Amino acid sequence: MNLLLSDDYLLQDYPEHITNTIRSGHSTCVRFNRKGDYLASGRVDGTVVIWDLETMGVARKLRGHSKNISSLSWSRCGRYLLSACQGWKAILWDLQDGKRYREVRFRAPVYGAELHPWNPHEFVVALFEEQPLLVDVTNPTDVRHVLPTVPKRTNTENDVALREKQAKEDARNMTTAIIYSAGGDHILAGTNKGRLNIIDAKTREIIYTEKICSGIVTTLRLSESGKEMLVNSQDRIIRTFHVPNLSAPDLDPDTIQIPLEHKFQDVVNRLSWNHVAFSSSGEYVAASTYNNHELYIWERGHGSLVRMLEGPKEEQGVIEWHPHKALLAACGLETGRINIWSVTSPQKWSALAPDFAEVEENVEYIEKEDEFDIHPQEEIQKRRLDAEDEAVDVLGVGEPVDDTDGFRMPILFNLGESDSEEEFVNVSLGTLRRKSPGDQDDAEEALADERAATRKPAGGGGRRGRKK
Amino acid sequence: MRASKFPGHTAAISQVRISPDGRWIASASADGTAKIWDASTGEHMDSLVGHMAGVSCIAWAPDSEGLATGGDDKAIRLWDRVTASPAHAVGEGAGRGEEGGYGSVRRVKAGGGFLQKGAVGKGARGTRSGRGPLLGHHNYVYCLAFSPKGNILASGSYDEAVFLWDVRAGRLMRSLPAHSDPVSGIDFSRDGTLVASCSTDGLIRIWDTSTGQCLRTLVHEDNPPVTNVCFSPNGRFVLAFNMDNCIRMWDYVAGSVKKTYQGHKNSGYSIGGSFGKLETDDEDAVSGRRAEAFVASASEDGDIVMWDVKSKEIVQRIQHAHKGVCFWVDVHGDILVSCGQDGFINVFRHRREGHDKVPNGIDGGVDHEGNHSMNADEELQRQIEGETTPQVKREEFEEEEQL
Repeated sequence: MNLLLSDDYLLQDYPEHITNTIRSGHSTCVRFNRKGDYLASGRVDGTVVIWDLETMGVARKLRGHSKNISSLSWSRCGRYLLSACQGWKAILWDLQDGKRYREVRFRAPVYGAELHPWNPHEFVVALFEEQPLLVDVTNPTDVRHVLPTVPKRTNTENDVALREKQAKEDARNMTTAIIYSAGGDHILAGTNKGRLNIIDAKTREIIYTEKICSGIVTTLRLSESGKEMLVNSQDRIIRTFHVPNLSAPDLDPDTIQIPLEHKFQDVVNRLSWNHVAFSSSGEYVAASTYNNHELYIWERGHGSLVRMLEGPKEEQGVIEWHPHKALLAACGLETGRINIWSVTSPQKWSALAPDFAEVEENVEYIEKEDEFDIHPQEEIQKRRLDAEDEAVDVLGVGEPVDDTDGFRMPILFNLGESDSEEEFVNVSLGTLRRKSPGDQDDAEEALADERAATRKPAGGGGRRGRKK
Repeated sequence: MRASKFPGHTAAISQVRISPDGRWIASASADGTAKIWDASTGEHMDSLVGHMAGVSCIAWAPDSEGLATGGDDKAIRLWDRVTASPAHAVGEGAGRGEEGGYGSVRRVKAGGGFLQKGAVGKGARGTRSGRGPLLGHHNYVYCLAFSPKGNILASGSYDEAVFLWDVRAGRLMRSLPAHSDPVSGIDFSRDGTLVASCSTDGLIRIWDTSTGQCLRTLVHEDNPPVTNVCFSPNGRFVLAFNMDNCIRMWDYVAGSVKKTYQGHKNSGYSIGGSFGKLETDDEDAVSGRRAEAFVASASEDGDIVMWDVKSKEIVQRIQHAHKGVCFWVDVHGDILVSCGQDGFINVFRHRREGHDKVPNGIDGGVDHEGNHSMNADEELQRQIEGETTPQVKREEFEEEEQL
């Protein structure tokens, strides 16, 4: 509704500078929900923290993992969150009560797990040195289907030697990144040999395979529409591809084409890319850089670099673009802080003084004919009231609102209690942040504690000693 | 803290609000307490005791499970509806990180939530710990509103500022230097992106919740003080209660007054009202909706006045609903509640057409006997009606009203 009043559409549609830094423990991975009002972050200690972007505060904490969180995925409705960790398991959380809805264990650390775009009871996982799985948790016992990484060969029945050789080759093929297509009926998988496989989610067979890059595919992303695909690989090149509509009824697997659109690279510095993200519309591509603290933003239409975001002097890891705003969140690798880049518009002073208008240059004022006529007060009042004959609608909402999910995150008051390893720290007026014991700024507090302790014998009680 | 013995308010009631689910009524009174009532039976549920001075404002959290109250002790308190205890439990140990914090022992002692000296001193920092109040305003807290998600609380105060609070952490998020006079009213739009505030300086300002910037200022030519503001149900208009006996509906995008409602009396007190919606049998010609909107307001002569939104005509006037000033009217579905200087809360229920009109049915309390000169086309009546004998019902109601 604020869009009715703001000129924000005039603002540029990619982030400009750091606007916030939030921190809870050491975050390694972040993900926005579909509406864009919550941000999930996964920590090194396995805790998943849900941030409310409106208050920039913690909305929920989910404890269940004990190892580094490797990937997060929200359900469409925003009620379920799938988190996968390096501790060989994935948990599907119900955010209504903050409890584990499902827990699935694997035989290897998880590279990435993604929920089906429409069905929160189905997800795919890419595992370390294991074949990827499609997991169906509709029933109390989960059903796992092994997904292929190499297409079936047709003519190997009679040649044992060849078959063995191929089997050996096949065993070296690993799926390293896996996502669903926009419709959810196909799975896109990237392998360590730089191949892209398209797997039919129903038959679980590879219907298309193509070598798209020369290194290990590390990240696969789709734009919101699902028509563009972003691939990061270890060959230091970020590629974008056009993806045809895989859900089309007349899809012919033999004629699928995934044409390359752009290659983004830094040929001068020969940089590698830690993580990549599409902007909300797919118009921009953002990437965090390896051994370098800048974020790169390219415009996809022309394939040109539009911006290098400077932030804290720290290498950034996972990077995420807000689903509809010009807002980027990235995790600092060293400190584990979540840095948020955004755009801010200046306060328009004319909004504060309605009698004034902002003009670009001097304007000659032309007085209206009746502007300074003097009328009796009653007449003015009557005229005013008579002019109010417009039909108004105070109930109609206009376009139907997108409240399909109807899920509302409960408001919790006991976050402090559930948070024994952290504390609130006052920074200045009205600003408060949470801090972990491992924080480097702890020196100050340690000092205070020390002071309190030394006064203890004299003053009797550290508490009172600190009160001053 | 449950004070079931004397459930009634002992002083004037400044605000009364129906919970979003329509099941409860909350009232804030100058006697320093807020009370929760069952909307269907009128039974007193709980008293919220903790403020050290009169309570001026009360707001329901959108889930109807929590409340916020603000009072002349400069504090805002969050409450749990079920337990009637302060809602926050930001760890007793959480205070340790704050320099100069008062000890946890003292906080426990404060159990009931009474404000203490130490806490006042910390107020300016906009923080709190334990089950303490939200402190930060330098003067009386005068109006409160929850965001539709319940994660943000907006407060307006006599210190002329609007504060936005992070409800979860009890932390001051943003302080808006809003007005040049006490902030008298505040409301969130239905999507939570806008906050409207008004003041006796005559201005209505529309704020962007996310950036804290002022997006629009509305001011009438005559500059009458504004005592209350609320958004229309669809969020496209704001209703401003002016102290020149007018209620004006603004189109805040165009910046113009669309409707002026007159006929009530408002020249000296901060009175309030709200939009109401009634299901109708005939469809609206324009929208095809089976509902029509009305504006309900309190009046300083003790009346409750209702206008048709479009025609600006008074559709109903409930005369002498209160002795002295009627301060606040809130509407939810078929229920209308009012409160006033006399310390009573009146509950009215819409009588659907076809229902028998029982003259006794509109009987409220003994003290109003003989003052029921309600209009023939009356839409609402006192809640006492239905299968049970009026006598029993009346006794219940009297109890509620008399104390």
